[in-house]
Amino acid sequence: MKISKKVTIPWHIIFIFIIFLLIFPIIFAIGTSFKTLQDAYNNPLSIFPTSPTLENYKVFFESLPAFKVTLNTFIIASVVTIFKVITSFLAAYAFVYFIFKGKNVLYFILISTIFLPFTVTMIPNYLVISKMGLGNSIWGVILPQLADAMGIFLLTQALRSISISLIEVARLDNMSHWHIMKDIVLPLVKPAVTSTGIWFFITSWNEYVWPVLILKSTENFTLPLALQMYISSEGGTNFTVAMAVSVITMILPLALYLIFQKYIIGTFISSGIK
Amino acid sequence: MKEIHFEDVKKNYGQTEVVKGLNLTIEKGERLILLGPSGCGKSTTLRLIAGLEEISSGKLIMDGKVVNNIPSGKRNVAMVFQNYALYPHMTVKQNITYALRMKKVPKKEIELRLEDALKMLQLNGLEERLPKDLSGGQRQRVALARAIVKQADYFLLDEPLSNLDAQLRVSARKELVNIHEKYKQTIVYVTHDQIEAMTVGNRIALLNEGVLQMLDTPENVYHHPSNIFTAKFIGAPPTNIFTMKYQDGDIHFGTQSFSLSPEWAKKVYEAASSQLVFGIRPEHIELSTEPQALHATVKSIENLGAEYAVYLTFNNEEMIALSSHKYWPLNQQVYVRFKMEHIHLFDKATTNSIGYPIAYKNKSMSLN
Amino acid sequence: MQVVTSRSKKRFVHKQSILAYSLLLPSVAIIAMFMFWPFLYTIYLSFFDWNMISLTKNFVGLQNYIDVLKDPITYKVLLNTALYILILLVFNFTISYIFAFVLNFFVGKMDGFYKSAFFLPSFISLVVGSILFTWLLNPVSGPVAIVMGWIGLSMPIWSKSEGWIIVVITLITSWKIFGYNFILLYASINGISREIIEAARLDNVPLWKIFFHIIGPMSSATGIYVFIITIVQGLQFSFTPIKIIAQGGPNYASSNAIYHAYHEAFVLYRTGHSAALSILTMAIFVVLLIVEFKYVERGIYYENK
Repeated sequence: MKISKKVTIPWHIIFIFIIFLLIFPIIFAIGTSFKTLQDAYNNPLSIFPTSPTLENYKVFFESLPAFKVTLNTFIIASVVTIFKVITSFLAAYAFVYFIFKGKNVLYFILISTIFLPFTVTMIPNYLVISKMGLGNSIWGVILPQLADAMGIFLLTQALRSISISLIEVARLDNMSHWHIMKDIVLPLVKPAVTSTGIWFFITSWNEYVWPVLILKSTENFTLPLALQMYISSEGGTNFTVAMAVSVITMILPLALYLIFQKYIIGTFISSGIK
Repeated sequence: MKEIHFEDVKKNYGQTEVVKGLNLTIEKGERLILLGPSGCGKSTTLRLIAGLEEISSGKLIMDGKVVNNIPSGKRNVAMVFQNYALYPHMTVKQNITYALRMKKVPKKEIELRLEDALKMLQLNGLEERLPKDLSGGQRQRVALARAIVKQADYFLLDEPLSNLDAQLRVSARKELVNIHEKYKQTIVYVTHDQIEAMTVGNRIALLNEGVLQMLDTPENVYHHPSNIFTAKFIGAPPTNIFTMKYQDGDIHFGTQSFSLSPEWAKKVYEAASSQLVFGIRPEHIELSTEPQALHATVKSIENLGAEYAVYLTFNNEEMIALSSHKYWPLNQQVYVRFKMEHIHLFDKATTNSIGYPIAYKNKSMSLN
Repeated sequence: MQVVTSRSKKRFVHKQSILAYSLLLPSVAIIAMFMFWPFLYTIYLSFFDWNMISLTKNFVGLQNYIDVLKDPITYKVLLNTALYILILLVFNFTISYIFAFVLNFFVGKMDGFYKSAFFLPSFISLVVGSILFTWLLNPVSGPVAIVMGWIGLSMPIWSKSEGWIIVVITLITSWKIFGYNFILLYASINGISREIIEAARLDNVPLWKIFFHIIGPMSSATGIYVFIITIVQGLQFSFTPIKIIAQGGPNYASSNAIYHAYHEAFVLYRTGHSAALSILTMAIFVVLLIVEFKYVERGIYYENK
């Protein structure tokens, strides 16, 4: 379709402006994390520090067990991701390639949990985690995060996109489910599995609500909790340090996104078209 | 005894019955074509043999054993799908050998079968390609090769040529027949294309709405259709069907009439049908300007390339005839003639053929 | 989202139920333990007076629900919630719908770049977002206030003013979820045949009519899904900025139904009230869910045919 430049140019300008609004805070955070506090107050509009310094990062690593905090976040996100990817894949495989009693109802119920607000589960989960003695432990943060039907939904969509005749050929060849999964289905949905995994990892990495209820001592903190310590409602005197911690919190998700964005956008698009 | 028996096999999805009490025997080593319009149940029938669908009632017997509950992997069948179902992430070689490797066939044996299949299907040099880098014809041949190397007793093909262009289809048909001459498996071949059915099949099973209409050789299906559906489905343009009255050896179309031969008259007498319907193929109608017993009015003429389709009105019904030229006077009367061995008579109530006099049976076959 | 067996009659199916159940077991077990059971237990708690610490729970019948419905704060919070929903929908449903439409049909180039850039903030922690925006929008020394000062505007002290605080918090939440919604809508509109649009343009149909008469109905399945996800996820995502920036204040001005349930449970230790409020909130969500499954699932089935 040919569209005149009169129409497209104003829209390009609008989009670029919106993107500027969306991306500017991130760039601003990176720039400010290398400023001194004085510099940040004197030149709030400039992205570039007048005399770059690593002081803010140093403060974070000295005032908190920063390495431990980062490691905690990484361990939690990894365990949650690995568990959810595997169990979601198995469940999606069952939903797509088997017929069994109660299949539709079960699928409906599981998917409905995506829409449950966390407030209807938070008190009992808190009680259970405390009773298990996992209050203030990263395992207490991990366990409730494992209960998530989003992966079942995404991977069911992905598996359904595989031509069923491929599976039929394999069954005619007397292939076991194990081989069908490993040699046929998994290689074909690798992009979807990868991006689902990345989505899980990042969601868990950024998780704030649940850890803030469970974790009490700083050595068990995750990055978002550590970051929260640098906030006061007025904007904070430790503002530049907060920017440094923000950068540390953002860097892995951003890197993963930039590397895998094609996969990820593709997966979300195919789950959305439906 | 690698034959396949259907004994009153039914298949339904909920309320819809797709296969309605099928009785059919597929002989060992033959090429049987399942032919019919879309939705007639031919693909479902094939998938029942493969074990990809479960039989609702009746018995499916393969090689003397009831296989209703035997999973598809244990039925020793190879299948070629309409979309070829090649594993997109595997190379040609991996696609062809995957099933054998899983079955732990010795490496040397796999190599041998692979070489054989590659050579037979002219796939040499493409072993390391992925399906997406192949042409349609090459993919189709890889799918065939993958099925061949299994050396299964039964070879099932679900519209295997429908995604190829016309020229490739001709050569692929021949290739298929050659392969069968070499391996002699029992072939069941689903298609909606009657030319494919005629050229590939030893026998044709014609299905409509889940019911077997006719099971016979291509020649018989063409020359001696068992009912009106078969007569109209096979051949293009389709067989003309006219209402008629029979009286004392004569067939009347309104005010026109002609005399049946004694052989036909005897057949009609034996059939004892209260009402008959007349059938004649367009290619068997001879038009002429010289007076004959029957006449019709030319309405329009269509160029088919090699010949012309002449549309006429005959006793207030539409008639199609094929002619070698187009010089017929529009809206004027021409005369119509046909041979006794080319006519078909059907019972109006059952739509079944009343049969064919033996004398004509042999004659019509030898003419073609 | 889709009921899986809609096409299953044409597909090959394995009848080994036991294997199927065992494949589902890990997911179902963990979801049962941390979703179903706690959900039922929350319903149970909504009938008791308890403070999470004392050993006894007193059965009070519907008293918690009555208390919640009588509490003026509840109405303030529900009104806030409505305002949250309204603003969330403007940004993440209306605007993202229009953008998705425009990007699909009227901006040929750079659509890949725009998609990537719009989606990027969805990967960043809301804690980071909250801090960044608090600073950027600082009414005195923040960059935005300074730029506004150049053109003679002054920024309201939003963190202290009712209404504005909700606008800012929604802005932060939208920053996070806009891209995700946009991607879904973009994909759905992208699936609509170009020829249909071209035919309409040949007939000189104005753009807004194309949008409402063609694009809207043809992408309605995803549209409704995005509508619901905006409300359900949007309110939950708002929790983080509400807690970090304002702790629900000032005077409940930033609190929504989700935050207030948290506040009742973990600040005021009134589990009964919290549970009752959560269940009421969920009832609203359930109505939305029914809409989703009724219209969207049917729509999908229709589209797939």
